[in-house]
Amino acid sequence: MSVFFKMNISVTLRPFAMCLVPFTLPKKRNLYSTILQRYMSSKIPAVSHPTRESTSPPEQLELDGWKTTMKSGMQKEDVSTVPSSKDEDTLAANRELIEMWRLLGKSVPEHITEEQLKTIMECASKSSKKKYLKYLFIKENLKKAKQIKKERKAAAREEAQKAKLLETTEEDKEQSFLFLRLWDRQKDIAMGWKGAQAMQFGQPLVFDMSYDNYMNPKELQNTISQLLESEGSNRRDVDPFHLYFCNLKIDGAYHRQLVRHYRERWNKLLLTTTEKSYVDVFPKDSIIYLTADSPNVMTTYKHDKIYVIGSFVDKKMQPGASLARAKQLNLATECLPLDKYLQWDTGNKNLTLDQMMRILLCLKNTGNWEEALKFVPSRKHTGYLDISEHSLEFLNRLKKAKTLNSSPKHTLSRHGKVGINEKI
Amino acid sequence: MTCLSGIRSFPKLWKSRPYLGLGPGHSYLSLFLTDCGIRNQQKWFSLKAMSPQNTKAVNILAAKGKSVKKKDKDSIKQTSHLPHFFAAGAAKKRSQMNFHNKDHTVLPGRKNIQLPTKPLSSEEWDRLKENYTGKKDFENWISTQMSHNNSPVDVAKSLLAWVAAKNNGIVGYNLLLMYLHLSVFYKQTSEVIDVYEIMKARYKILEPGAYTLLIRGLIHSDRWREALQLLEDIKKVMTPSVRNYNDCIQGALFHQDVTIAWNLYEELLSHRYTPMLETLKAFFDFGKDIKDDHYSSKLLDILLYLRNNYLYPGESFVHSIKTWFESISGKQWKGQFTTIQKSGQCSGCGNSIESIHLSPEEYHFLKEKVMMDVIVGGDHYRKTTPQELERFEDFVKSCPPFDIVIDGLNVAKMFPRARESQSLLEVVSLLAKQNLQLLVLGRKHMIGQGSRWRKDEMTKLQKQAHCFFADNISEDDPFILYATLNSGNHCKFITNDLMRDHKACLPDAKTQHLFFKWQRGHQLAIRSVFPGSHIIFQHALTYDTVVQTTGDSWHIPYDEDLVERCSYEVPTKWLCLHQKT
Repeated sequence: MSVFFKMNISVTLRPFAMCLVPFTLPKKRNLYSTILQRYMSSKIPAVSHPTRESTSPPEQLELDGWKTTMKSGMQKEDVSTVPSSKDEDTLAANRELIEMWRLLGKSVPEHITEEQLKTIMECASKSSKKKYLKYLFIKENLKKAKQIKKERKAAAREEAQKAKLLETTEEDKEQSFLFLRLWDRQKDIAMGWKGAQAMQFGQPLVFDMSYDNYMNPKELQNTISQLLESEGSNRRDVDPFHLYFCNLKIDGAYHRQLVRHYRERWNKLLLTTTEKSYVDVFPKDSIIYLTADSPNVMTTYKHDKIYVIGSFVDKKMQPGASLARAKQLNLATECLPLDKYLQWDTGNKNLTLDQMMRILLCLKNTGNWEEALKFVPSRKHTGYLDISEHSLEFLNRLKKAKTLNSSPKHTLSRHGKVGINEKI
Repeated sequence: MTCLSGIRSFPKLWKSRPYLGLGPGHSYLSLFLTDCGIRNQQKWFSLKAMSPQNTKAVNILAAKGKSVKKKDKDSIKQTSHLPHFFAAGAAKKRSQMNFHNKDHTVLPGRKNIQLPTKPLSSEEWDRLKENYTGKKDFENWISTQMSHNNSPVDVAKSLLAWVAAKNNGIVGYNLLLMYLHLSVFYKQTSEVIDVYEIMKARYKILEPGAYTLLIRGLIHSDRWREALQLLEDIKKVMTPSVRNYNDCIQGALFHQDVTIAWNLYEELLSHRYTPMLETLKAFFDFGKDIKDDHYSSKLLDILLYLRNNYLYPGESFVHSIKTWFESISGKQWKGQFTTIQKSGQCSGCGNSIESIHLSPEEYHFLKEKVMMDVIVGGDHYRKTTPQELERFEDFVKSCPPFDIVIDGLNVAKMFPRARESQSLLEVVSLLAKQNLQLLVLGRKHMIGQGSRWRKDEMTKLQKQAHCFFADNISEDDPFILYATLNSGNHCKFITNDLMRDHKACLPDAKTQHLFFKWQRGHQLAIRSVFPGSHIIFQHALTYDTVVQTTGDSWHIPYDEDLVERCSYEVPTKWLCLHQKT
């Protein structure tokens, strides 16, 4: 009986089935009315006999109710949408699967494109599938949130404009300004000028682009965005570096991504890109490779050296890749004195490329480690180590030694200082 | 200095080892002696000194000793009961010694509503919903709570009825799933079938979670064959899990369909999955009632599978194996649970267990692999440099084969109190007295001048042993492995490093097992903490812990239920099966 029934009621009718059925399907009336009766009866006793709540007969009735309706629910006419090929079949199955996951409240995206679906099917394992879906889910949510924010802003702007229209009638007063509002363009031009200066006289800073086969696409993507960020902060600086992208293979993975992001600006960037290695471009003894694995700690920033940063995001565990590179080329290596200045807490000592860039810029301009290490994410450390005492002690010792050795010199130098001050 | 620290640590030794008071000094001593895998004629230590005669002195010292740090005390405990370095549960024990058990106070789950224990009426559900103040949707929240706490099926039913009544008879997928979970949990097969019907009617395709539950629910019913269909449905979107296969196989065996069960098992293996031990146990359990040679040979295949993949059955599984063997008519198998003696003989039957030594081919293969994957690993510069590698190879060639390779840094850092060079020298001179060819591997900074590495002690060291010092930024462990492997099968190495990172560099599980087997047979770990007093080496194992047979006997190592075994440990308990003749 119920099977027969199932076939007759279509999907769209279902929510209204209760009211429609008696008219459209008079034959089945008795069955439906029994269901209805069950609903009614299930409710009525609960109201009329509140004392009997704890005993369960009403629930038994209700139970049958939902089961029957659920079973009689919808069965789509699949016959019409029989997929033509097996490929499409699995695609559709995957789509349905994701839909089911979404019903369960798992982190899967609402909309999914053919291409993404194909990527999902190519995922080797279940967990990678889930990871990718979660990534899409987060991406979708961000997009949605952005859209909502945009709309809200637009609405607010419109409102503000309306309010303005109501208010302003006497606003046609002539005002005198010194400049036109062309700040952004001015800034760009000024930065371009500085960039050109740096191209001629700036200190080189090399990004080593030879790690493309160490990274998966995701890591490469992160690397590229970090590179963009560092290039940006370099451009805005007072005294920018002359950036070199060395080992950058034309049409390699790095190159393709960079061109994709920069588009037509790529050829107008004020930096040097070369397929050559840094050891061919610069004298070997002036190169210092910066790597967190280095045993040597950087003490001071040297203005006559060429620092090399590996453009490498290492999410897999392959420590020592950049140290191996430096060893192979027999280069000097250094790492930042993070442990000396910071009370390290959690996280990797590897910093992102843009953080490195900012730290180096700051060092270059001020030479102050505390100032420079502000760019280390604060979640990674609990605070600055108090090294002032040590250094004071050290200074005192130096002074003592000096005064013991040559007190007249000391006084002399003091005189000198005074003299200078007076001159000024 | 050494002497002093030795004496100071004494009372605690005495305190933490109550059974010493009984006076088994000698047996204890002999235990140490048998413990070392090296030919030693000497007594390296004198435990006699601590006989209860000097109780007075001991008491004074004990009073003094109280102020000593806790850490020290713990490290001394270590010697009181020494499980083998690779014995099951040893790592757990070690970790417990290092850290005092933290109180694991279980935080009570934040509940703003007591879950109902009896079916509720609609009004009561409404009221409950009003009281609920959470972020999630009430129905979602309560259903997750109920499935977590395994609420009775009736309660879930009443919830569904309430939701359905509110919602024109429609119940959400997640609620259905929760209900399914509970009815599977309470083995309410009729409910499972009802839900199955509903799901079939409403959804074209389900997700793996529901499939898994349905399979598990259906295998106990008469419609168990539909579970197999569901398995096929899963395959459309992804590979079914091991658990799915397990359920289906159990279902097939439950309904006496052996062919299907074996086919599913084959399919499971073809996915390169490791079957659940439960699955294998089910085959053995079922085998009791079957008198069929074909089936028996398949079961023996399973045992060989365990052997090849270094899998160890659990306690209940091993009981099943025993029962199955004993149920074979005419063969008269007799099984007993035993341990293996240090000599590698089964305490039950006296037969020797397979030796841990690798066959020449295996040995050669492992050597190549260690060279290629651990030391070079695609990039010569990662762990060393080609120049250094060459230097090392030349050095190894110029020396006679070593008997013992020592990880200098690891041994030196073993005794936190003593100076590095001193403790290393002690270990080396102890070994040198036995006319062994020694190789000490270290880094260059050890021969540089420093307060921790005294020059005179290092020169003495260099007189007694061959030394190789790698660059400070190179890794020394790969050199140890290579030097040991290169010297031949008799060569052992001393380090307390478990070498897990190097094992991980190896390409596949098979090579890793081989490496682990070799490691167990050749690694001597130091198990004492008093410099100067005595040094106890963990013996290298002589037998291999693996499922094995000689035709008329089987020896099967197994995991005890109450022991947590790490991946780099092997079980200590065995099932010994042999035929009565």
